[in-house]
Amino acid sequence: MNKQLNRFATIIWLALVILTIGTFLIGEEVTAGKTVMLSVLLISLIKGQLIANYFMGLRHVSWLWRGIILGYFVIVGGMIAIAYLN
Amino acid sequence: MPPSFVSIDESCDEAGILGNLMNTKTMLVNETEDLPGDFAIWIFILAEMLVFGVMFIVYAFARSNQIEVFNESQLTLSRAMGTLNTIILITSSYFVVRAVSAIKSGNSRQSAHWLLGTIFLGGMFVAVKLWEFNEKFSAGITLETNDFYMFYLTLTFFHLMHVLMGMIILACIVYKLKNGDYSAKEHFGVETGASFWHMVDLLWIILFPLIYIIR
Repeated sequence: MNKQLNRFATIIWLALVILTIGTFLIGEEVTAGKTVMLSVLLISLIKGQLIANYFMGLRHVSWLWRGIILGYFVIVGGMIAIAYLN
Repeated sequence: MPPSFVSIDESCDEAGILGNLMNTKTMLVNETEDLPGDFAIWIFILAEMLVFGVMFIVYAFARSNQIEVFNESQLTLSRAMGTLNTIILITSSYFVVRAVSAIKSGNSRQSAHWLLGTIFLGGMFVAVKLWEFNEKFSAGITLETNDFYMFYLTLTFFHLMHVLMGMIILACIVYKLKNGDYSAKEHFGVETGASFWHMVDLLWIILFPLIYIIR
């Protein structure tokens, strides 16, 4: 059981590293623009959810806590997007 | 099977139904677990996230008034170093997950080793950040150079302080693990420290693209 959980955590870690490299490549290769900004923010949202739910272990607790973390990323990310789109 | 087909004593039947109800209730309660670690750390985590969240939003709106200045200054940052530090923090968070998993299995020695690995990675993060700061200070960049550098230096320094605080917390936990203070049944402190470290990672997940990538 523990081995399975550890293997799952390793997969999540790998996904986070791939998403980070993806963010770096977007920053290096792609010219700045609204699509790039929104894509990078979306990647951050996904990474945040992976860390909160699988590393912090929030997937086992009340939906309220998962909602708070998701809401945080949506609100902060959304406000950043609004500021950049202005 | 209808209950009338079961031939048992009425009092036993009642106890059985009650027992089943109790089991169902226990199962429902256990569907959601308690927050990992001390509840107080979660209040602290939310407060810290709120403070950082406000600073992220203020940065974004401040940028909208000086887009050229922010974009030009941002290009002087090393995105490779920012990415390296992101991978270091993500890996350190993974090490913390393994440390919690190890202590839950009753292996305090292994748990301490994973946490020592985390502290080492934390040290690497600090070293990379100090190299970046040194590079900027050597180029004559200070808080007063422009608004972008003011935000860059303030936000990353504030975050760096949290990394250092996390390293101290984890070092205390390693000390307690070595003393045999935690076990498979009692590992509340390990989970509390782990939650704090994950928060440091979570904040960097927004900070990194905001300061280094998005323009």
